[in-house]
Amino acid sequence: MKKFLALLVAVMMLAAATAVADSTITFWYWADNPDYSKTMQDMIADFNATNGKGITVVGEEYPWDGGGFSGNLLTAAIGGGGPDVATFKLTATPSFVGNDLLEPLDSYLDAWENKDEINDSLYEVMRSAGGKDSIYVMPWNTQVLYVYYRPSMFEAAGVTVPTTYEEFLDACAKLTRDTDGDGKTDVYGFGMRGSNGGQEPWGSFIYAAGGSFEHLDSEESIQGMKDYISLFQNGYAPATAPNDGFAQVIDAFKSGLTAMTIHHIGSSAQMMELFGEDVGAFIFPAGKGQWTSMGDTETVMFASCKDKEGAFEWMKYLAAGKGQETWCTVTGNVPVAASVQALPVFQENPFMQVSIEGQPVAGILPVLDTTTEWISNWPSMIQQALMGDITAEDCMQQLQAALWE
Amino acid sequence: MQKRRSRLGENGIWPYVLLLPALIVMVSVVVIPIINAVGMSFQYYNLTRPNRTAFIGLDNYTKILGSKLFWQSLWRTLIWVFFGVGLQFVFGFMLALLLNRDYRGRGVVRAVSLIPWVTPGVLIALMWRWILDGNYGVFNDLLKKLGIISENVAWLATKGTAMPSVITTIVWQGIPFFAIMLLAGLQGVSHDLYEAADIDGATRRQKLFYVTIPSLRNTIYVTTMLRIIWVANSVDVIWNMTEGGPAYATQTLSVYIYKEASSLNMGFASAMAILLMLVLLLVAIPYLRSTFGQEG
Repeated sequence: MKKFLALLVAVMMLAAATAVADSTITFWYWADNPDYSKTMQDMIADFNATNGKGITVVGEEYPWDGGGFSGNLLTAAIGGGGPDVATFKLTATPSFVGNDLLEPLDSYLDAWENKDEINDSLYEVMRSAGGKDSIYVMPWNTQVLYVYYRPSMFEAAGVTVPTTYEEFLDACAKLTRDTDGDGKTDVYGFGMRGSNGGQEPWGSFIYAAGGSFEHLDSEESIQGMKDYISLFQNGYAPATAPNDGFAQVIDAFKSGLTAMTIHHIGSSAQMMELFGEDVGAFIFPAGKGQWTSMGDTETVMFASCKDKEGAFEWMKYLAAGKGQETWCTVTGNVPVAASVQALPVFQENPFMQVSIEGQPVAGILPVLDTTTEWISNWPSMIQQALMGDITAEDCMQQLQAALWE
Repeated sequence: MQKRRSRLGENGIWPYVLLLPALIVMVSVVVIPIINAVGMSFQYYNLTRPNRTAFIGLDNYTKILGSKLFWQSLWRTLIWVFFGVGLQFVFGFMLALLLNRDYRGRGVVRAVSLIPWVTPGVLIALMWRWILDGNYGVFNDLLKKLGIISENVAWLATKGTAMPSVITTIVWQGIPFFAIMLLAGLQGVSHDLYEAADIDGATRRQKLFYVTIPSLRNTIYVTTMLRIIWVANSVDVIWNMTEGGPAYATQTLSVYIYKEASSLNMGFASAMAILLMLVLLLVAIPYLRSTFGQEG
């Protein structure tokens, strides 16, 4: 009996010791393509093998789904089934902070030896997004949207890279061509994204026409909407545009169906692999104004996380450790850590140069508690305008009311 | 004790004890969520704006009933169900009659015909989305090769063709359900009836309308009622093909509810779900009455 009790105590002590030493961090993330999925899993494996603190990160991938990721993450976290750490977009911050779901990171950041790797201004952007004094969001990487184009198609159509908004609209028309003489359009000037996520490239038209997100119902914003509708109704974008999301616009560009489309550097590796020298990029040109979307990506730690120190180790690895270098090298995203930005691989990448060139005019949607819902309702409203069910004025008035109600 | 037993019935309390586990499960997964949904429907309950949560009485209902989008979605739900279930029934019935005949390889045909029914709705939607893709879809390619169209048609991105496209998909998915259920019914029809009809000189058409269909009446009734409820509630096919677009052209009530709920506008979505439940009860009540009526 004594032997049995001793064995039992030993087993319990061992179990307790194991529980203290090891921790498992669940991590939710999205990846734009299978290469990025594999990269993330490799990074997780590397962190698990090298962190030396018994921390095991379990990565679970979910689709970005044009912003659906944020809604699913919020639902899961409120229901008690969310992860410990997740990738994140700044615009979702108010909903999460309002539900007390996120862990403030100030004390962890203050104790972090590499805090200075990230520019202070970026921390301030993170702080302002939560609407409180604390920082809830850890910078990870940024992407600046720009226009991808096919130089060979520009040459065939006699078009040069547009330097003004007017020239851009004109290029969309000229690049729309019947290449085989059968009377039907074979190449469309612009790959328009009328479905989920389309609000980001669309924003460039609104600003170029002199409008803004603050005054979506202004005369200038309405003009931007009219220009956008004209591109579709004049046949300069594929007829499928109202339903086209990320995958469709990228596939259309890759297949040669469109001459220009808008996305960030995350697609550059695939484009270069497919087209070699026959792909270029330029920042959406200025008209009366200029704006492009800064696709920020951050990480957050949930308040329900049991091992917060362990979770922050993983967030550090992503923000300024080896994870930062690996992820940004593979995806081409703009690193936030100064030492990684200085690496030759980033300094010599032409698409990175365009991203950096676009940074002064890059911004995000207004961070409001209406933003998440506004994003999910954007496609339905825009589709109505594209199809002529409602006027540009009506559409913009509805969008203004929905965002700033 | 004897008095209590007689009041509870001959078997005493035991039938109720044996029913208890099922009752607990039903209360947990059906009754409590419905009560929760009813409670939420009287609140402004949007998880993206938790600070604004408040009891608002009937505001959600008045907002819904005053909304053009709700009535349009209800109308689309009726079209979706009428054509979706109607065509499933017609083609399912034809397939059942075919599968009921004797020919070589009938077992294989029966098994193969079940494939659409056992395939997940999401997969079916993705498959048809690619078939009907306006740029690369095989359907456009086929029609062009047959000389029926000269230019690609954006089936899912054009208002006039989006709803017929999603209806085609749900019909393709649901035909085997009707076929198998009606086939089971057909096999229960006595051959004596057909022999008697033959003796009376009935034609094939007369046998169909005066023997087969009347014999299948209960099966047709039950399967149609069930399918109406399922199709009205289904979200997967439409959501994965069009997300209710373009410009709401395929937005049925259940898709509208899903969209609002996934935007975390739970109060509004709950109120709409309660209204959809009431609409479906109009279909379900005759079914329940007939079922219990037969038992009585």
